[in-house]
Amino acid sequence: MSDAIRHTLHMSSPPDDVDTVHGLLEIVWTEVPAIGMEDRFSLETAIIELASNVMRHADPGSGVSCTLLIETFPDRIEVTLSDSGEPGDVQLADRDMPDVLAESGRGIPLIQALVDELRYDRTDGLNHWHITRTLKSDG
Amino acid sequence: MEVNVRDLTGDIAVIQLVGRLNMASAARLREAVTSIVDSGRTRVSIDMSGVDFLDSSGLGAIISALKTTRQAGGDLRIAAPTGQAKLVLQLTNLDRVLTAYDDAETAFNE
Repeated sequence: MSDAIRHTLHMSSPPDDVDTVHGLLEIVWTEVPAIGMEDRFSLETAIIELASNVMRHADPGSGVSCTLLIETFPDRIEVTLSDSGEPGDVQLADRDMPDVLAESGRGIPLIQALVDELRYDRTDGLNHWHITRTLKSDG
Repeated sequence: MEVNVRDLTGDIAVIQLVGRLNMASAARLREAVTSIVDSGRTRVSIDMSGVDFLDSSGLGAIISALKTTRQAGGDLRIAAPTGQAKLVLQLTNLDRVLTAYDDAETAFNE
């Protein structure tokens, strides 16, 4: 575990929004340049979808505080997004893309198409969302 | 994200998007298309060549814009998505209903 490069971001939404997360990811991609474009596209999309989901659904009305931890290992990236919001009410199993003309409902299936693992648990009054993506060897 | 609108001849408007089309910016696309349709132009072409990030919130805004134009008797086309945006359109199967044209200026000529 000691060979992980860690980046952490604490946010309060509002005023922070998904562009705050994009800002952290720009730093990650600069500091870990070996990650290939496909891995970057996939991880950035999955992380922004997750953050959007939390900011949209977990906010009880008074805003939501989140901590994003990105751990880069030689062969994979692990992401944990913890938030103080309402308990997650998301069915993660067997999510298909909605009808093509639906205006919502693509976030979770899109994450699942882009990463190896998406997990949720609730401990100590916090929601924890976990993503793992194995990095392409030619990255 | 920048949203630049320009008129072509007839009832066509081109929206050039530059930057990230995500939860923070999606409403601006919906507003731009509503404003265009309210002004009487019902065919809208979105130049996506400058979009460097697209997510499901952005896709929702594109679908909403598509419905807005069609309900007014027009249509919406997209042009020149690249990189990450192209990947997201494919993974969500939206490339099946939204053909990506080469050039926003000529999308309605084809």
